Amino acid sequence: MKRILTVVLTAVVAISVVFAGGSSESSFPDPEKPITIIVPQGAGGGTDLQTRTLAAAMEEITGQKILVENVTGGSTGTGTNQVIDSPADGYTLLMYGTYVVCGTMTGNTIGHEGLDFISGLSMEPFMIAVQKDSQFKTLDDFIKYAKANPGKVTIGNAGATATTGVVAYGLDVACGKVFNVIDCNGGAELIPYVIGKHIDAGIFSQSEVKSNINDLRPLVFLGSGHSVVPEFAKVPNLKEAGYGDLTVPAGCFRGICAPKGTPDAAKKWLANAFEKAYKSDAFQNFLKENGLLGPFTKLDKFEA
Amino acid sequence: MGDFLQGLSMVTNFSTVFWCAFGSVLGIILGALPGLTATMGVALVIPVSYNLSNTATGIGLLLSVYCGAVCGASIPAILLGIPGNPNAIATVEDGQLMTRKGLAGQALGGAVIASMIGGLGSEIFLIFFSPLIARMTLAFGPAEKTTLALVGLVIIAAVSGKNILKGLLMGALGFVFAFFGKDPVSGIVRIPFADLLRQTPLANGFDMTSTLIGLYGVSQVFSEIPNLKKTQDRVVAANIGSVFPPLRKIGQMWKIILSSLGIGTLVGAIPGTGASIAVFMAKNAATGICDASKGKLEKPGTGCLEGVFAPEVANNAVTGGALIPALSLGIPGDSATAVLIGALMINGVTPGFALFSQNMPLVYSLFITLTIANIFMGVFQLAGVKVYPKVLLISQRLLMPIVLILSFIGSYALAGSSVEKGLFNVGTALFMGLVGYAMKKNGYPLAPIVLGLILGGMFEEQFRKAMKLGAGTMSRFVSSPICWVFFLISVAIVVSTSVKNRRENGK
Repeated sequence: MKRILTVVLTAVVAISVVFAGGSSESSFPDPEKPITIIVPQGAGGGTDLQTRTLAAAMEEITGQKILVENVTGGSTGTGTNQVIDSPADGYTLLMYGTYVVCGTMTGNTIGHEGLDFISGLSMEPFMIAVQKDSQFKTLDDFIKYAKANPGKVTIGNAGATATTGVVAYGLDVACGKVFNVIDCNGGAELIPYVIGKHIDAGIFSQSEVKSNINDLRPLVFLGSGHSVVPEFAKVPNLKEAGYGDLTVPAGCFRGICAPKGTPDAAKKWLANAFEKAYKSDAFQNFLKENGLLGPFTKLDKFEA
Repeated sequence: MGDFLQGLSMVTNFSTVFWCAFGSVLGIILGALPGLTATMGVALVIPVSYNLSNTATGIGLLLSVYCGAVCGASIPAILLGIPGNPNAIATVEDGQLMTRKGLAGQALGGAVIASMIGGLGSEIFLIFFSPLIARMTLAFGPAEKTTLALVGLVIIAAVSGKNILKGLLMGALGFVFAFFGKDPVSGIVRIPFADLLRQTPLANGFDMTSTLIGLYGVSQVFSEIPNLKKTQDRVVAANIGSVFPPLRKIGQMWKIILSSLGIGTLVGAIPGTGASIAVFMAKNAATGICDASKGKLEKPGTGCLEGVFAPEVANNAVTGGALIPALSLGIPGDSATAVLIGALMINGVTPGFALFSQNMPLVYSLFITLTIANIFMGVFQLAGVKVYPKVLLISQRLLMPIVLILSFIGSYALAGSSVEKGLFNVGTALFMGLVGYAMKKNGYPLAPIVLGLILGGMFEEQFRKAMKLGAGTMSRFVSSPICWVFFLISVAIVVSTSVKNRRENGK
């Protein structure tokens, strides 16, 4: 009995040593080696869900193991830096978004200078929303009240340097710094705080408002034109709300990046694989359900 | 209904069923081995769960190990009089007496049936109450969460170990470990010798899972080293006898079953408490019920099925109860769920209101895997009731090296492709193992460190948010009745426990 167990144990160790050893990288991708997509934001938020949907579709289509890892902190700079510092072999990718530009502005990361662009995925519009019984019925109500009571009105965002943070601080500065801006840890934290009336209003992505449509009331649609989601078709945009001169980010662009210097062959394989995953029913349904706008782009230069 | 079907489709595949079965058997074995705890079992399988493609599958594996380990602990408690882990401490008395009477089989079988009743019964509470509680948590803003974290930490400090001061110190140490790394607001690196070490992985703080593996896996190996030289002569009862207790007897015990179920679920749901309290409360309650039954039921403590049923229903009821605050608030009910929350986050599930408002399919898939886990736990333990006792014959000399190797492989694997981070994680596990060993050796409890570690980050972030909301004042705390209640509870626990400690030490 004892001897058998010893043999099994030795075998286990031996096998793990073999697996730990390096394999020669001949062609991309090595089917034994998983591809990791790093999401620089918390688990459960809009960016995370989109990445996981995409990864699952890609795994099914290509058979390649795809891992999704959430690396938060440093205004998305921590996760971004982790990708920039990873080997440029195509096995570590970044779920890039407008938030990376924000992380770059705060000096936490060199951002797109250290990255190669693989593909663009979606554009998600933002909304400002309040709890459904809130005293604020329109954006005008909200801003006028804040100006009359400086420092009393709280407005939340998904992180100081998340794109929604830029919206919140942009709005605050434009109104003469009358708001108390609260930085939350992702939408998952912001949503219950606004619904529970701990924070007066929040900057949300449209999908977040849609998932909580019974509890939240959108005041304004920050995207251009009107929402493609039927429930929100009548939500006024900034111009209709009387604040056409306010310039804040209209939404969050998302895409996939790799560390700078990733071999072209790997980038090409990845771009094609992401294109197939993007076109899959699962991902298309995800975009449609969340009112996200395409289109898919690949191997472009950064526009930012 | 659509959400439920979607959740069902996430788990109706071969791999989920396979990993749940694997987790159950592994959990039972880990639970049965003295020295290996449910918490450690969960910590050790996190790296595996993380590498399973489907989130629901990974969670199913974790829950199966958790339930199995709680149930499996009854095996050595009954056969040897040594609890496999603290979940079975109250089962020892009657279990051992039954074994001496030649009723080992009935005790083992009864414990499994009791565990299944406890697990499935408490799950009903979980399914009905967690969405309601998630809704109620909307009343919890940053100030309320800060004070709730405080209550959780104070409770665990009070109940683990003999001295609340030691417990609080360990909670504080957990906070210190949680504060390592980057400031959550400004992003400034907070580590000793920051200029030297900012390029190392330490700049991002300790890896949570490696820390847990170190505290629970590695430290246990160090603690067992002195025992390795002793020859082990455990004699396991050869003749187990009939496994199924008479059904009529179980029917007669309905009052005990219900009271234990209620106690287990409730105690489990209170943050910071755990099975080791629930089992004794359940047994006490059962004694009362037996006294009132006028001789129809036998009294626990005399070597009867009642004395096995009461604690075994309660300890598995704790599993469902502990998941209620874990899922709805992100606050662990006990140290095993503390590890589970860490694991859920790694697997992409952030507990809280948003989980219930936005990701109901995943919640349903979690409930379904928990049901599967409970059923597998019962089926596999009953089926193998004659085999598992053999596990007790495995020498610690073989077991402990395996645990050590698994601990290091697990923490290394967590880092993915980064060798530097992997080695850092192994170092973290080793360091935390030494810390845990030193603490245990000197009578300092480990559970508060784990809770401090989980709650520390939350405490800091929520406290700073509450202060910002109050424009730099404590107004958000002062104006909230919930905060006052939590604050008074914390004070009451500290005062009453220190008085109790003093009286006990004075004896």
